[in-house]
Amino acid sequence: MKKYIIAIFAASVFLTSCEDFLTVVPETQLSSATFFKNQKDFEQAVNATYAPLRTIFNDRAWLLGEMHSDNTYYARNVLFGAVDNQEDLADFSVPVSNGTTANTHVLNQWRQDYLIIARANQILDLIDDVTFDEVAKANIKGQALFLRAFAYFELARYFGSVPLHLTPVTVRSEAALPLSPEADVYAQIVSDLVAAIPLLKDKATQEAGRATAGAARTLLANVYINQKKWADAEQVLRPVVTSGQYRLMPTYAAAFSDNASNKNNVESVFEVQYLEGAAGLQGNFIYQFLPRPISAAELQPITGTSNPQPVDGEGNNIPTPDIIAAYEPGDLRKDVSIGYVFLNGAFQVPKTLPYILKFAKKHSQHNNHGTNWPVYRYAEVLLFMAEVLNEQGKTGEAIEFLNQVRTRAGLGATTASGQAGVREAIFKERRVELAFENKRWFDIQRTDRIQEIIVPYGNRIKANPQAYYYPPIAGAVPRNNVFTNLSKFYAYPAAESDLSPYF
Amino acid sequence: MNNHYLSRVKIRLFGFLLLMFCISVTSFGQTQSVRGVVTSEGEPVPGALVLIKGTQRGTVTDIDGNYSINAAAGEILVISFVGYSSKEVPVVGGQTVYDVTLDLSTSDLSEVVVVGYGSQIKKELTGAIQSVNGKDLQDMPVSSVAQKLQGRLAGVQINQTTGRPGQGMNVRIRGQLSVSGGSQPLYVVDGFPITGDINAINPDEIDDITVLKDAASTSLYGSRAANGVVLITTKKGKAGATNVNLNVFTGFQEVPEKGRLEMMNAEEFAQFKKEYYEDAKLPVPEAFQNPSQYRDKNNDWYDAVLQNAPISSYNLTLTSNKERVNTAVIAGVFDQKGVVINTDYRRFSMRMNTDYAVSDKVNIGVNVAPNYVVDNTPRSDGDRGTGILFNALHTWPVMPIYDEAGELTYFNRFPANTGNIFAYPNWVRSAQEITNETKVINLLANTYAEWKPIKGLSLKSTFNAEIRNSNYFFFNPSTATAQINVAIPTVAVSIRDENQDFTWLNENIATYDKKINDHSFQLLAGFSNQQFRRDRTRVQADTYADDRLPTIQGALNINRGGTISGVEEWTLTSIFSRATYNYKGKYLFTASVRGDGSSRFGSDNRWGVFPSTSLGWVLSDEEFMKTSSTISFTKLRASYGITGNNNIGNYTQYALVNNTINVAFGNTVTPGAAITSLNNSNLGWETTAQFDIGLDLGLWDDRVSFVYDFYTKNTTNLLYAVQIPQEAGFTNFNDNIGEIKFWGHEFSINAIPVAGAFRWNVNANISFNRNEVISLADGIDRVYGNQHITQVGKPFGQFYGMKKLGNYANAEDLANSPKIPGRSTVGSIKLADINGDGVITYGGDRDDRTIIGNPFPDFVYGIVNNFTYKNWDASITASGSQGNQLYMRHLYSTANLDGVFNMVRKAKDRFRSPENPGEGIFGTTVGGGNVTGVERDWNNSNFVWDASYFTIRNITVGYSFKKLGKSVKSARIYASGQNMWVFTKYWGGSNPEVSMQSDGQGDGGNLSPGVDLSAYPVPRTITIGANINF
Repeated sequence: MKKYIIAIFAASVFLTSCEDFLTVVPETQLSSATFFKNQKDFEQAVNATYAPLRTIFNDRAWLLGEMHSDNTYYARNVLFGAVDNQEDLADFSVPVSNGTTANTHVLNQWRQDYLIIARANQILDLIDDVTFDEVAKANIKGQALFLRAFAYFELARYFGSVPLHLTPVTVRSEAALPLSPEADVYAQIVSDLVAAIPLLKDKATQEAGRATAGAARTLLANVYINQKKWADAEQVLRPVVTSGQYRLMPTYAAAFSDNASNKNNVESVFEVQYLEGAAGLQGNFIYQFLPRPISAAELQPITGTSNPQPVDGEGNNIPTPDIIAAYEPGDLRKDVSIGYVFLNGAFQVPKTLPYILKFAKKHSQHNNHGTNWPVYRYAEVLLFMAEVLNEQGKTGEAIEFLNQVRTRAGLGATTASGQAGVREAIFKERRVELAFENKRWFDIQRTDRIQEIIVPYGNRIKANPQAYYYPPIAGAVPRNNVFTNLSKFYAYPAAESDLSPYF
Repeated sequence: MNNHYLSRVKIRLFGFLLLMFCISVTSFGQTQSVRGVVTSEGEPVPGALVLIKGTQRGTVTDIDGNYSINAAAGEILVISFVGYSSKEVPVVGGQTVYDVTLDLSTSDLSEVVVVGYGSQIKKELTGAIQSVNGKDLQDMPVSSVAQKLQGRLAGVQINQTTGRPGQGMNVRIRGQLSVSGGSQPLYVVDGFPITGDINAINPDEIDDITVLKDAASTSLYGSRAANGVVLITTKKGKAGATNVNLNVFTGFQEVPEKGRLEMMNAEEFAQFKKEYYEDAKLPVPEAFQNPSQYRDKNNDWYDAVLQNAPISSYNLTLTSNKERVNTAVIAGVFDQKGVVINTDYRRFSMRMNTDYAVSDKVNIGVNVAPNYVVDNTPRSDGDRGTGILFNALHTWPVMPIYDEAGELTYFNRFPANTGNIFAYPNWVRSAQEITNETKVINLLANTYAEWKPIKGLSLKSTFNAEIRNSNYFFFNPSTATAQINVAIPTVAVSIRDENQDFTWLNENIATYDKKINDHSFQLLAGFSNQQFRRDRTRVQADTYADDRLPTIQGALNINRGGTISGVEEWTLTSIFSRATYNYKGKYLFTASVRGDGSSRFGSDNRWGVFPSTSLGWVLSDEEFMKTSSTISFTKLRASYGITGNNNIGNYTQYALVNNTINVAFGNTVTPGAAITSLNNSNLGWETTAQFDIGLDLGLWDDRVSFVYDFYTKNTTNLLYAVQIPQEAGFTNFNDNIGEIKFWGHEFSINAIPVAGAFRWNVNANISFNRNEVISLADGIDRVYGNQHITQVGKPFGQFYGMKKLGNYANAEDLANSPKIPGRSTVGSIKLADINGDGVITYGGDRDDRTIIGNPFPDFVYGIVNNFTYKNWDASITASGSQGNQLYMRHLYSTANLDGVFNMVRKAKDRFRSPENPGEGIFGTTVGGGNVTGVERDWNNSNFVWDASYFTIRNITVGYSFKKLGKSVKSARIYASGQNMWVFTKYWGGSNPEVSMQSDGQGDGGNLSPGVDLSAYPVPRTITIGANINF
């Protein structure tokens, strides 16, 4: 009998230790089993939710929102291929078939927005199951709601109807959702922001750079304006004006972040945060906005770096003659916004070309800068106020807000009058005040002026390519498909469509 | 047997496993000295083995065929030699002389073949198994065993994908593939499935290599067996003798001019550039107005990074088998410089194998094999911008390698108006000055104790360990770079990557042999535990104050993103069992099963069960077959079994949190974290169910033997990171999906066409492997590689892109053909409108892409010829592959029609005008990137070229001396040439076996096979060697 006991004992030791022996969890990485357990985890999670904004504003937003308008174009370099994706956006020739497009910028914008949404969903799904400081928790939830709304608002403006994910995906079958109507998407955005406003801290108490109650109000106002809900917009926006926490910086140049200073200043409502250096949090958008090929010597005065290197390829986001002409005489913003550089390279006959100056702040290392990107500034809050008041017939009050912006620009009070006149004045003021801040396409889109503005713009380019930076050589002319796709929304990204049964 | 007896065995078994071994005493019987001569067809047979059956006692015949050994009456002498049927002679009391005549045979059916967890008599094998004797491989002047096996094994395709010494051998058994798991076979060294690099093992240590191909042979290795199993047995002392053997060779390697990719020389390049501007009606830059000025100023950058390089090897082997101790000691030094400058590969190796018969019933043994491998290679292989060879290939030949003072230049750049987009460093400097060194210490150890308590029963316990410490050091000084467009001085960068691996395995196995009348049984049962752990530390630092001090503390900056510490660990617990039965050695039956529990499998799917069964029928033992005088042996085999592939990653089942998704607020870095993958607790192994049917045939007393196998296998539950729509916030979900069907035919023949004083032995094989994707995930009928598609209903990993029809011949052709809006012009590439919508479209819903080629061969084959005549011997080994294609991916740079890089010479014959349309391969340069970009950036059939080849792998000629003085028993000198000639139509580079190798989904990943990015060339090697026995 004893020997059976020994045998059974041996067998049971073998079998019970087996499961332990076979359980090997990653030692050097956190896994889902060990994360989302405390306040610090949720703080880190909400921080990561901001991260895709860096990519969006450095690499995509200006292509989809600015170069896809009459404000900027590319400076053709015939020596350089594989530029269709950018050129198609500037040329309103994004290829579409069956409602989808292979344009990589459209695809990446989509993916980065949904990355924000997924991270926010993860937080919102789990945060109430964990007990910690209620004030901290409210602030985290508020930021998660703000960021989710921000991403959905981008998607709604770029695509219209989109899949509406509000809970985290855990299995493969949940990954794709049907398209939700645009109205449902807007309803969700509004509900998230309405919930976020009381949860978020204000600018005075929130850590600089994070979403604030003021930012959520401004975003919600923008959402209402897009829906032409003027009274709702006024109601949500007025506390931003009356809070006393925001004011215009003394000069237009000072409104924008420097490489390491003047970030999140008193005019700033919401900025995307970049940091120069090796931490991987830098931007390089000003390099993308330069005409090319540019030599190190031509580049250095613009960037001020110690190690300038020549940059090849094709320059993008080059201010058009149209935007240059849009500034009124004496507008101080013009020379702050647009600079000129003399290029001596390649097939470009040596030539002076304009570039976006207002973000080009001096920094130390080539292709690596910390200048923040302005998403919402108080100047836009004032122009939003002017617009919502004017649309409600309060034109006189609207003009007061408009003139605040004009005064700082060194301009006199607007001469516009009447609701329609002031409407047009605000529209023009937005163009120059917010030039190169990725507002132009959305303004044209929401005011239903695509045909009216883009068609003549296209004709001007086709009539005079060299004015739009085509080099004066044979064959350097606009492609024959330019200005053929003036749709309000971008087509859905083909790579996502391939994976979804719903679109 | 009664219960009492059974429980006694149980107690003994348990005690045995607990204590590993115990000792008892034994004695040997009375013996007499017997002697004789071994001959065949009138000639003495030297080196034949004379063994006393059932013992370890034995001797070897001398050069005249004489032997002498002590044997007792009643014992049986077994005389055997490769190429002859072995013979058994009973020793009779009083008779002391036994002369033996051996018969020629290509397959010794009584030969014992190593199989999984044991050995079997060849005649009784029921699986598809092939073995190669280490002796047949010893003359080849190469570093790794896989190189030596090329062309020798039916059904095993071995490609040398890069010539980097010690690297790049791609072994694929029966065409096995996986979407994302590993496809290399399992290597088992002396019973121990190793985790390290098989190429690190000194081939001179190897006695025998057995390849297990079908499921019945492999399924005892369970969840690791689906890619096939290679069993390697290291040397033991030959019975009765003490031998000292010195084996040395030395020689040199070169890259023959013939076969290299033909690029333009400086004058041709300047002429091209001149024409480029003229055709575009642009002013010709000054640098190219007069191409003939470069006539004597060519700079062959590719040749400049190559060299002729020495290779040598020294091996000393001592074997002894006396009393109860059997010892083999092998010490080796292998020293190879590479044919790319600043490459070397050195291996210092040692192996000590010792077995000790403690008594009749107890054996113990220890094998210890330490080695040290130093491998230094510049970053030779890789894509444009990262691989020095690719970079050198496409560097403008008008750029000087040396300046006027004869010093290596640092940096070359032409004026911007010449279209020189990229600045080039001096690649010779890059190769010389950049350190890229790996030092590895390997230690492989096996110990065992075996106890045979009663006749037929063996209880064996083993403990095996493998230690591997690899130390990688990379240093890029400020004076060099391996990338284009980096200014010199650059930022000096160092990387140190240290990996410490430890694997242990404990196996406990009981086997029981029993013969009752005509019924033979063998039962085997065992359990095992194995664990692997890797601790890794990688430090990346940059910005050095002084290039001479590349220490970590010498760096001004530690690169946080490149500095990692990590752990990789897995565990495996297994139980396994096999039963073998035969009746009269004529009807054969084997069944086996293994259960594997693995830490890699999801927590809800932890155990896999892998059964197999096989049958054999020796027809030639039947009365009705015995009348044939031609057919000497016939066996039919059939097997079926299930095996797994557990190369699915160690932590794939877990959802991981990335806690380095940091953000800045203001100027403060703030940590961020997010879940970046999805959890799958049901994740499991890939399953392969394989059926095999085979025929073994011997003719004319086995002077010709023939083996045929047909197999069919289905691999299901393929590990795949199924792409999901990223609206989910994740890119993929790791799942077991889909099914691939494989089938194939293997033939091999072994014959002795000429025997006698002149003897010719030939061994040839040919294999046909096919596959078809049966299904992928739900709703997914295709997955893409880089230039590839894997699509349901089609073979795996096909080249995918646009089909090239030619170039638009003239305006009329352009007007009447489908075009790419805005891009097609006269002379530009004309692509097929596959979907017939009138427009050429790449990707999207109007896609015109289609399958444009196949990286897999129609068949592969090999032939080995051995000749002996008196003291001379010679061998020729050749192998080939037919019908495979390569994707000549480097053309995207080396045929960039914008003249940004140097170009292949064929681009001289490009389209210039309708009157001068060229060879048709390359189109017009006019129109810049908008036009030429199609040809270059859109995957198309212009990149796909036939890469069938036939390679003379090795030619060896040797001469043997009988007796050289007192101390030298025998000696042989030989000359050997490796990779002598490659016959191929492939023009994209010197190695038609090339294939970019990488993990993951990129170029050379599982889904993207057969991509040529100009890898390290495989050299031709010429050596002389000597093999001396003392």
